[in-house]
Amino acid sequence: MDMNEIKEIFFQECEEQLAELESGLLRLNDGDRDPETVNAVFRAVHSIKGGAGAFALDDLVSFAHVFETTLDCVRSNKLEPTQEVLKVMLKSADVLADLTNVARDGGSVDQARSAQLIRELEALAKGEAPPAAEAPAPKAAAAPKAAPAPKPAPVAAAAAPNDEGFLPVAFSFDDFGGEEEAVIEHPAYEVVFKPKSELYTKGNEATLLLRDLSRLGEMSIHCNMDSLPPLDQMDPEAAYFSWKVSIKTDKGEDAVRTVFEFAEWDCELEVIAVDAGEGASSESEELPMQPVPFDLSALDEEPHAPLGVVEEEEQIAAAQEAVTAAQTASNVVQMAGNASRAAAADKGAAAAAAAQNNAQQASAAGQTIRVDLDRVDRLINLVGELVINQAMLSQSVIENDSNGVSSINMGLEELQQLTREIQDSVMAIRAQPVKPVFQRMARTVREIADITGKSVRLVTEGENTEVDKTVIDKLAEPLTHMIRNAVDHGLEMPEKRLAAGKSAEGTVKLTAKHRSGRIVIELSDDGAGINREKVRQKAIDNDLIAADANLSDEEIDNLIFHAGFSTADKVSDLSGRGVGMDVVKRSIQALGGRINISSKPGQGSVFTMSLPLTLAVLDGMVVTVAGQTLVVPLTAIVETLQPDAAAIHSFGATQRLISIRNSFCPLVDVGRILNFRATQANPVEGVALLVESEGGGQRALMVDAIQGQRQVVIKSLEANYTHVPGIAAATILGDGRVALILDVDAVVAASRGQPLHLETSLAAAG
Amino acid sequence: MATRKAAQKSLSLAPVLDLNEANTLHGKLMALRGNNLVIDASAVERVGALCVQVLLAGAKSWEEDKHSFAFSKVSDAFTKTTQLIGVNIDHLMAKEI
Repeated sequence: MDMNEIKEIFFQECEEQLAELESGLLRLNDGDRDPETVNAVFRAVHSIKGGAGAFALDDLVSFAHVFETTLDCVRSNKLEPTQEVLKVMLKSADVLADLTNVARDGGSVDQARSAQLIRELEALAKGEAPPAAEAPAPKAAAAPKAAPAPKPAPVAAAAAPNDEGFLPVAFSFDDFGGEEEAVIEHPAYEVVFKPKSELYTKGNEATLLLRDLSRLGEMSIHCNMDSLPPLDQMDPEAAYFSWKVSIKTDKGEDAVRTVFEFAEWDCELEVIAVDAGEGASSESEELPMQPVPFDLSALDEEPHAPLGVVEEEEQIAAAQEAVTAAQTASNVVQMAGNASRAAAADKGAAAAAAAQNNAQQASAAGQTIRVDLDRVDRLINLVGELVINQAMLSQSVIENDSNGVSSINMGLEELQQLTREIQDSVMAIRAQPVKPVFQRMARTVREIADITGKSVRLVTEGENTEVDKTVIDKLAEPLTHMIRNAVDHGLEMPEKRLAAGKSAEGTVKLTAKHRSGRIVIELSDDGAGINREKVRQKAIDNDLIAADANLSDEEIDNLIFHAGFSTADKVSDLSGRGVGMDVVKRSIQALGGRINISSKPGQGSVFTMSLPLTLAVLDGMVVTVAGQTLVVPLTAIVETLQPDAAAIHSFGATQRLISIRNSFCPLVDVGRILNFRATQANPVEGVALLVESEGGGQRALMVDAIQGQRQVVIKSLEANYTHVPGIAAATILGDGRVALILDVDAVVAASRGQPLHLETSLAAAG
Repeated sequence: MATRKAAQKSLSLAPVLDLNEANTLHGKLMALRGNNLVIDASAVERVGALCVQVLLAGAKSWEEDKHSFAFSKVSDAFTKTTQLIGVNIDHLMAKEI
């Protein structure tokens, strides 16, 4: 494993930590005061800092350090996580994400913004209100916080007062650290250090930590061995020793804590400043403290690497140690640990207890693995080919085995079943929750809210709904666009909202759910809704519609999806560049999805996107229309029926209706809509597929015959040819021929009179 | 402390007594139970807390068994590490007669 691979793992871990950080901060923002949430947030920043340090990513380390210091104040209840404080922290999380991205991909960050946030974070850590943007330059950010802290924080400058008018006052024990100029004796600290077994198994070493501690100043130590069992009852890899250390140092409490920072989660640690005059506390005086000799040079020869790791290139070992300790690359450690274990395996038999312990660790670490996406994609492609091949094989067997009962046929059915299962399992590998995308939207909302001066709350639901990774990756862009639109255009300014009897804070709601084999994502806002008059006027001005056009509300709403349409009076940085919603619609369509809008004046708008769960396969009904083979997605079909002549009714000049269980449903000839034939076919000679479109209505699609039902592998027309109206994609059938997959909604829309733009050549696609 | 009838065994410690060596060392000591033991720690270059734990647990068990457990020679690194972590092994040093 080379340095770049370790670094790549670090960045992957960073992404997870950043997601953890953001969701933790959002929970705090929602009023969660669970100390574990604060800890999780702290840990995330701490881990990023630790890993970044190993790779000398100085900007990232500096920022993370300041951020962490402020979070530590929250963790130790010195700083109340008010909305104001959390606002700064959420922004800091964004900057931390930017810095991580820059460290990985290059580029530059907004230095002014990060400097400003460093100032704000430092002010919060000191218990002051965040300074304004013009505040003087900060002191060196990278330097560890010097102890003792500055004079007690001015009460008047503390954070926002509570209901009773009291002001939370940041309180620091550092303030009582003693006047160092007046006292010649260095401040003394009492350190209680109780390692957990994990400390050792993760490659840390108590002796090295104590050695580093001893370098800070004059130290005496007491080793508590009370819990050490006799040899036959001990687990050689468990921690039994704990230490009480008394140290006099001028480097401050932070320096003492820094020694343990990479092991913090794997030990119990107490650092107490004791009065320099008294030396150690009375309790520790009772313990036999052993002075630690200053000359520890004999121990310095070893590299600063974990003892448990086999000798490797020094730089890698050092990086691994830091990454390890920061818990940011536990799998790297596991690998290194396993390698060293393997190397040592022949040296002797392990005790049963230890073996069990190792097995438990192995199982805990083996629950997830990281796999390169390319490998999964290759597998998916291969399975796709397997499905096609299996279909071809089935077809040729069927053609040569007319009675269909031969053993080959039976075997093929089993093969089909197996292929299906393999395919499902492979698809499940790619399925990911939409949570990361939703979390990214939280940032978008914050930024737009800041720029527009609106107050916005983002509510998300169904973040754990899973969908194919490709869909998730491609979802972020259109969703960001829509969120921007929702905040910028949808929500009103606070004063306008108050005037309309709403709360000043607008709500944008993002939900995801599974519905009949698709994922449905809804974005709603409680803003003013679409201003239909304005939209209509704009459409007339842009020659999109005739001035006297008679449009329904829904049709007017849908005008916003037209290219070049923008209702923003002035072009802003956020939206309103006129490339908005048509681009969104195209992106969603390219994903095989659809988008709809419904809006109520004064109450807001709802955008509904329906997307396929996977872009790889589809269950379809293979049908014949005017000599062409088409595939109709099974999810759209409600039922199939053979129309009876008595059930067909003419309606107007060209419309026909079919009577199904005492209700009428429009009959749509697919061959006519797609221009496969010049006149409508006789419905009685064909088959009707009753479909439900995303818009809700039912239609009976007329096809000539049904060939069968089968799972088909989707081959994108957009990627291989170009978008064809009325056609969602293509596939390869068992006989090797290409068949087109019908876009049911587009056909239904066309049957309502909306043109399909058939000028694009269908024949070329077929 | 020592009994007369038990055999005298010796154990030379490996230069690196780290996480991996803790199990091995534990196994070796378990195999030597019931004997008087002299340990040669003169080759030790690095020793971690886990191995010190194993050695001291050994000393405890040997004491319960009423057998002798002593270090004949120790390296500078071994002595310094035990001093650093506050473990006193003076009483385990073989006394010259």
